[in-house]
Amino acid sequence: MPTEARKDTGGAVVSLLLIALGCLVIWDTTTYADSDSAVFPRTFAAVMIVAAVAYVLTWLAGRGEDLGEPAGGSSRRRICLIVVMLAGALAMPWLGFLFAALPVFGALLLVAMYDPWTTRRMILYPVIGLAIVFGFYFLFNDVLLVPLPTPAFL
Amino acid sequence: MAGLEHLLGALTPLNLLFALFGVVAGTVIGAIPGLTATMAVAVLVPLTFAMPTASALILMGAIYTGAIYGGAYSAILLNTPGTPSAIATTFDGYPLAKKGNGDYAITVACLASVVGGMIGALALLTLAPPLSRVALAFGPVEYFWLAIFGLSLIAALAEGSLLKGMAGGALGLILSCIGVAEVSADVRLTFGSHTMLSGIQIVAALIGLYCVPVLIDLVATPDHHLKIEKGSGGYRLGEAIAYLWRDKINAVRSSVIGTIVGILPGAGGSIASLVAYSEARRTAKKGQVYGKGEPGGVVASESANNATVGGGFIPTLVLGIPGTPPDAVILGALLVQGVRTGPSLFTQQGEVVYTFIWGLILATILMLPTGLLIGRYAYRTIITLPKALLVPAIAFMTIIGGYAIRNNISDVVIMIVLGGIGWVLGRFGFTASPIVLGLILGPIAEAGFVQAWTIGGATDDRFAMFFGRPISIAIIVFTLFTLLSPFYLARMKKLKERAHAD
Repeated sequence: MPTEARKDTGGAVVSLLLIALGCLVIWDTTTYADSDSAVFPRTFAAVMIVAAVAYVLTWLAGRGEDLGEPAGGSSRRRICLIVVMLAGALAMPWLGFLFAALPVFGALLLVAMYDPWTTRRMILYPVIGLAIVFGFYFLFNDVLLVPLPTPAFL
Repeated sequence: MAGLEHLLGALTPLNLLFALFGVVAGTVIGAIPGLTATMAVAVLVPLTFAMPTASALILMGAIYTGAIYGGAYSAILLNTPGTPSAIATTFDGYPLAKKGNGDYAITVACLASVVGGMIGALALLTLAPPLSRVALAFGPVEYFWLAIFGLSLIAALAEGSLLKGMAGGALGLILSCIGVAEVSADVRLTFGSHTMLSGIQIVAALIGLYCVPVLIDLVATPDHHLKIEKGSGGYRLGEAIAYLWRDKINAVRSSVIGTIVGILPGAGGSIASLVAYSEARRTAKKGQVYGKGEPGGVVASESANNATVGGGFIPTLVLGIPGTPPDAVILGALLVQGVRTGPSLFTQQGEVVYTFIWGLILATILMLPTGLLIGRYAYRTIITLPKALLVPAIAFMTIIGGYAIRNNISDVVIMIVLGGIGWVLGRFGFTASPIVLGLILGPIAEAGFVQAWTIGGATDDRFAMFFGRPISIAIIVFTLFTLLSPFYLARMKKLKERAHAD
């Protein structure tokens, strides 16, 4: 066994999760009425399990992949981005496209803001944001005729 | 044969205007993630009903070819294929842009798209009837083996660890199974969730796995999105032409691949670009490092996907079988116009067909100036827009684009969740490309396999069904060659080095 710390423990953990997922897929295939439906998911799950097990064994042997530099930057902003996007998408059926998109754009603007707020920026950025949201609304709703969600309360 | 009169017929001011409008509109629509070439064509079909047939076809063909090219912009600048056809463009296009060569990559993409589009259109002009037979020679089992050939690219796309690439590819294939099975209507892998019932939409998954992780990293630091080279933002046309000339074999080979794959109904630009990329990578010259910002990757992908436009029209016009999804929409518009597709179309309605083909060639040529101009502004916008506006603008585009594919909010939710998962997996070396490859090729492989298995069962000779047909054997041999040749070459190199050392 190697004496130095094993590389890529995260990769081994993800591999274990993939093994668990593969088992779940195989379990799901036992409920299908037609055996033809089970062939592919079962085969792919088996391939995934074999590859993931092989990687875990590689990691145990101390030959895990060196991933280099870890991800730097603000984790809080990363999480905020996903939460805001998800919240906006989930709110769209109730609030409608425009009422959901405007706060989402505003919130993401704040999340991504690194420059100091000047008077010019405080005026210009919201105006550009409104132009982008309404511009895309016009393009999709009126030109491409995509039925965008309307507010449930109207 | 198509004569000068048809070229002159295509050169009327009205047709030229339609071609120009179509290319510009298609390029802009294709550049927006989530808006596909099919949607671009479908939206404008009602406008064509009152037009002369040839003009209507020229407009639709121009939109189609523009949209396929437009997908390269977001692939190069945002790591998000604007259309599924541009998936392989991300492999080298985005690394090029990260290095500060986004303007160069866009010009290379434009030139390659024009070359591919021209070769596809010329094949349509000169070889349509004989080439259309290729479409009929491909049965379910050939599609299955073609998908397997595409999956062999996982070995090349797995950066660092082949095992992780295999696991990622299998994960993508599993994701492609979610929803109602096409063959037997079993509900698979939804675990009771209604959101998952309609399956994972490929374009939404592409946006999620490629674009959302870029956004996640973009928002985390105040650094610029792309490296800005001093004096960048020009066309770099001379440099791009010189590269394309050096890489002409790649461009021509990829265009031929795109034309042939375009002929196959249902295969489409994504498979064409993946197969062409795989070949370009396999035959890389010394010093070419694919996957790290090699312009040859952009050449392969873009020339192949634009060649599918002309290729796809071959079975559409000759056999009435649409080669690609946009062709199906155009076929519907043709039927409304009273055009009866079939082998006799080229003789009985030659004027309409040849005028259209010349119109398509003109639209492809027009793509050069318009594509370069739009590309330059797209690049400048991306590098100069402050991060506080860039992030919400891209996020907003992904949300509305993800929704517009099927007018389904579930697709947007799945896209964002997949993006988060993709970012986490990417941090631990499970890159997005093998997952996406599995997602795209899974349904083709499964449908082909199950149909071939059933036919083989009915004829009582499954072995011959899978391994006895000439085209299948050729694809199997080619797949094995692609998979094994790198090992053989590496072994030979080692032996040579050992001999030199001795």
